Amino acid sequence: MITQSNFASRFTISLLTPLVLGAALPAAAQAAGVTAGTLIENTAQATYDESGATRTITSNTVRVRVDELIDVTLTSLDSGPQQATASEAVLAFELTNQGNGPEAFLLTANPAVAGNAFEMTVRGLAVDSNANGIYDPGIDPILSAPETTAVMAAGDKLTVFVLVTLPSGLSDGQQSAVDLSARAVTGTGAPGTVFTGAGSDGVNAIIGMTEAFAKETGRVVAGVAAVSLVKSVSLRDPFGGTGAVPGTVATFTITASVAGSGSVAGLVVTDTIPQGTTYAPGTLGLDGTGLTDATDGDAGTASDASGISVTLGRFPQGPRIP
Amino acid sequence: MKISFRHVAIRLALLLALPAVVHAQTPSDPVSLAGDVKAVKIVTAEDGTQRTELIEPTVIVPGDQLVFGTSYANNGADPVTNFIVTNPLPSAVRLAPDADPLLSVSVDGGKTWDVLAALAVTNPDGTTRAATHEDVTHVRWVLASIAPGEQGRLTYPAIIR
Repeated sequence: MITQSNFASRFTISLLTPLVLGAALPAAAQAAGVTAGTLIENTAQATYDESGATRTITSNTVRVRVDELIDVTLTSLDSGPQQATASEAVLAFELTNQGNGPEAFLLTANPAVAGNAFEMTVRGLAVDSNANGIYDPGIDPILSAPETTAVMAAGDKLTVFVLVTLPSGLSDGQQSAVDLSARAVTGTGAPGTVFTGAGSDGVNAIIGMTEAFAKETGRVVAGVAAVSLVKSVSLRDPFGGTGAVPGTVATFTITASVAGSGSVAGLVVTDTIPQGTTYAPGTLGLDGTGLTDATDGDAGTASDASGISVTLGRFPQGPRIP
Repeated sequence: MKISFRHVAIRLALLLALPAVVHAQTPSDPVSLAGDVKAVKIVTAEDGTQRTELIEPTVIVPGDQLVFGTSYANNGADPVTNFIVTNPLPSAVRLAPDADPLLSVSVDGGKTWDVLAALAVTNPDGTTRAATHEDVTHVRWVLASIAPGEQGRLTYPAIIR
């Protein structure tokens, strides 16, 4: 029986703490920090004694508004190369708004990665709208061009799926990569680049250490299946031997196997009753379990005239024919 | 940032340097109090050495360092005594680690005061731990007396949370 290959785990994390120009190293580990637009106000108060009386005075209030820092990261959520199923695969990524203000991100999937054994076609980018980590066709919306996320709050995460289609004619085990990149809608650039008034609430926006741009690679491995049938026969003659004489019972065994890491669908194994023999009614079986000769709910039919037919369906996951 | 009070005899020149703002005080108050804020910018020279500059705040984001300043002046004819200046820290900032360790601070909203190294904070489970810069809620300075015409400037550094 074919077993699925195991792939080595591959897990990359890219997480950057925003470090801004002109700052002492921030000791706090928060990725987002104080929300953009926050007003910082400072007023001093003083008391003193003068001429026997105690007085209180207050200074003016100084005000500083916190601007928006823009940072973004992308992480692959797949623990290894994704197995293509029927020439399709889904790659999952987590997008995080690492800044301190609301921001939307423009997504681009590029299948033309250097070193690809074959190139995939990107069917679309989908958003995990129900946050279950699985691409649900018809529920998770496919973004229309230009693929842009909704505005995400500071620190928020979003799971994005890249849907790919593989070409035909591949060899089993061939791999292909696709790069997903995200860029902040407000702008990208060298760290420290300022977009005046472009932040939330009209504050300034400044690009952080990630350059407001992130890129992550997802990999797909082609699973090609080649089905082979091997037929063997065992004989039992009326005298307890293995001679081929009239009256000998010939038990035919067809072993179906699949080479490669893929699987096939809708596999049906058929065979004719060999000339010179007669099908013994009720002897059709699948992996030790008997099948009825008639066309009914089970997987097999058999008759002298039409031969045998056993439907294995998706294979592997189907057992052998004894 | 080191706290320093500069004792200056000539009050007029420095009064002109103070920000022109409206003070919340009655005309008979002999002491004036004015606040300002500067941003700390680290400048790297061509030879690789770094120095800090205080500039007007332009773009301020989490992690940036500010210096809050309070300037005082005794404009009256009599000395004032027991001059206590209190500055509550805005919640969006924390006291910077390079603040003067001798600065008198409070971690309980202004009820008790000491140098930071002497203060403790009670955990939710009842145990105590040493207070850190992030716990500071107020800073204050106590000046025994200010002579007529004397003025100075008090500052503390803060980092945007």
